Amino acid sequence: MMVGPDKVDLKVVLLGREYSGKTALAHRYLLQKFNPHMNYQTTVGAAYGARKFEVDKQTIFMGLWDTAGSERYECMSHVYYHGAWAALVCFELIDRESWLRARHWANEVMTRGDEGCKIYLIGTKADLVTEPGTPRKIEYATAKSYADDIRAKYIETSSKTGQNVEEMYCMIAEDYVADMAKKTKGEN
Amino acid sequence: MEAIVQEVVKPEDLKKFEQRFNEQCLRGQPSATAQFEYAWCLVRSQSPSDLRKGTLLLQELFHKTADETAKRDYLFYLAVGHTRLKEYEKALKYAKAIQQVEPGNHQAREMTAYIEKKMKKEGLIGMAIVGGAAAVAFGALAGLGVALAKK
Repeated sequence: MMVGPDKVDLKVVLLGREYSGKTALAHRYLLQKFNPHMNYQTTVGAAYGARKFEVDKQTIFMGLWDTAGSERYECMSHVYYHGAWAALVCFELIDRESWLRARHWANEVMTRGDEGCKIYLIGTKADLVTEPGTPRKIEYATAKSYADDIRAKYIETSSKTGQNVEEMYCMIAEDYVADMAKKTKGEN
Repeated sequence: MEAIVQEVVKPEDLKKFEQRFNEQCLRGQPSATAQFEYAWCLVRSQSPSDLRKGTLLLQELFHKTADETAKRDYLFYLAVGHTRLKEYEKALKYAKAIQQVEPGNHQAREMTAYIEKKMKKEGLIGMAIVGGAAAVAFGALAGLGVALAKK
């Protein structure tokens, strides 16, 4: 069943440089699999998918917007992170440029995004780090300390092996439920 | 695909990108970026004249560029614009053209399936309206018959 963007409980947006693995993460999210035969293609504009999560006997519908990382869409991305409860800012663990872009995106969300929009900093392609020829360029500690500075969570994932992907989405759903509970408590 | 095709532009965004485009036009040739951003707003508008204008701007961009990825993106939004105008045949043509630029593009595949579904659904709805109209016309005639018979 497909739930429309206006009917989901929370909106989550994927941001990051071209080729940083956003679509593979979105694919894992929707289909719980990785297609190694899929040719790399940049995303046109944006893509959307929704999924159901069960947290503490509550049903949560999460709508995920996968945005195009190419510069053609640079000025348009605010349309997609507007109203988002969380932004997943992605970078490749093996590429410094994408890390710099991720910091730019995090800044953008903090300055132009909705107030209280949560940031999850995602280091992608973790499987490549252990392979020859693709050394890690961003140390865990570097990314973690930056994430701490901006009060973001930091997760290293691999859409290829599935490492931390399902855990990440479940964590977001759980954080959302906790956040809502806190807000309701605050109101009473 | 529904979420992407039916998403509506915010009036302030449309205005902002329109201004940027118009300013560039006044100074000379607008940049492809400004034209694309404006067209992208227009094809997400609810006004048919905006949609029409958006598709024209995209067509122009398409013919001017040699960049295959840019072409692909213009085709995608041409498909969006024509779908919203309910010009499904044209929309389908553009969605299918993306496959030529980039074979196996999954967004184009989804778009094609979405337009075909729309055509099928609205084709049937169209027939239902015609059928309904015929029934009403027949009812009116029958009523007329009754009225005449009563005289």
